[in-house]
Amino acid sequence: VKLDPVTLATPFFIIAVILEIVLARFGKAKANYDWRDARTSLLMGLGSTVAGVLTGGLAIAATLWVYQFHLFDISLKAWWAWVLIFFLEDFCYYVFHRLSHERRVWWASHVNHHTSQHYNLTTALRQTWTGGLALTWLPWLPLALIGFPPVMIAIEKGISLVYQFWIHTEAIDRLPAPIEAVMNTPSHHRVHHGRNPRYLDRNYAGILIIWDRLFGTFEAENEAEPVRYGVVKNLGDFNILRVSFHEWHGIARDVWRDPRHALGYIFGPPGWSPDGSRQTSGDLKAAWLARQNPSPLAGEGVGAADG
Amino acid sequence: MSAAFLIQLLISAVAVAALVGLAAWLGVPRPAPALDEGHTRALLAEEFPDADLSRLWIAPDGAAALARSGEAALIVYRAGDGYILRSAPWTSVEAGVVRGERAILKLDDVAAPRAVFALGEGAAWPPQALFAEAKA
Repeated sequence: VKLDPVTLATPFFIIAVILEIVLARFGKAKANYDWRDARTSLLMGLGSTVAGVLTGGLAIAATLWVYQFHLFDISLKAWWAWVLIFFLEDFCYYVFHRLSHERRVWWASHVNHHTSQHYNLTTALRQTWTGGLALTWLPWLPLALIGFPPVMIAIEKGISLVYQFWIHTEAIDRLPAPIEAVMNTPSHHRVHHGRNPRYLDRNYAGILIIWDRLFGTFEAENEAEPVRYGVVKNLGDFNILRVSFHEWHGIARDVWRDPRHALGYIFGPPGWSPDGSRQTSGDLKAAWLARQNPSPLAGEGVGAADG
Repeated sequence: MSAAFLIQLLISAVAVAALVGLAAWLGVPRPAPALDEGHTRALLAEEFPDADLSRLWIAPDGAAALARSGEAALIVYRAGDGYILRSAPWTSVEAGVVRGERAILKLDDVAAPRAVFALGEGAAWPPQALFAEAKA
């Protein structure tokens, strides 16, 4: 516990939120706060620590079990192992995060983090209550199989979580280009929290933005299109139970009404429906692109008429 | 749960209460003025870019609005300093329940189960202009 980066960083989180609120009040920083929204974010953070204690044993047990079969002996004292796990853990985070947006069963546990229409430091603390039960820790198990000690994995995951706190802010504009090229920054992560079709399902990075650049999920913040924060269908109130469980409720209702398509409702992308009556983020993006670039056939038609 | 964890949790809860208090006292919310026609149409166009809006009605308190697009009702209401937008079958508007000076629409949506509209004293529901359009 003494090595848990999140616990160690908690006083810093509190001081940073106070600074953001006060600096914004005196016009020294850009940050909007609605106290009800902040209350929801902070209570979600508090609840997630309780949920972590209640359900964290599952991830620990699975990691220890897999570690029995580790392929290499890696020492906690090996400096190169810390360098290697920094990159590998960040890649695992990318996989987890991408799946959490592209598969509804994991989206159900991750969506709460995106339900704020604000983007300030309290948004970073709007953490999941159900991720442990939804097995969202699976992508990190290969690290234990390789041979990284479980405590090393836990520390690196904590470092990643702490890093991602400070990027939840509008107070910091763009950083120097070399940093923006490699690191996940406030600008990149603002895009990730956008509900504009242009920004949907982009920038899954934890610490390094390189994974998004490599796998084609990167989108730069566009000054001409300010980010609108939240989810495609924003929540109607600030109820933390609704924030935590609305998508789980939605899945259960869909499966109850139409059990033949249970697999699609559970493992399909958010917004999937058997008859296509709902919209996935892919559908929303396609419709948006079609509006931006009207069909070339339409243009040819005009040309032909003119000719 | 250990005693240490419970103490840590208690301290965290106090910190959360203090931060919420600070946000309420010094936090700068986004401007959320009463809805007018221009603002409402802009919100609707952003959310439902393909919708063909006919009539638009804005609640007297400027906190909610209703529009019609074909057989769909387009709903806007304020939550905090943000707005919630939904599309629902037009029939759900006609099924709205009036309680006192408020009309309540049930939405088939776990994330936003109902929309509430302030009505003027003695005003009918659905608002007359929209109802006339619906029957047209």
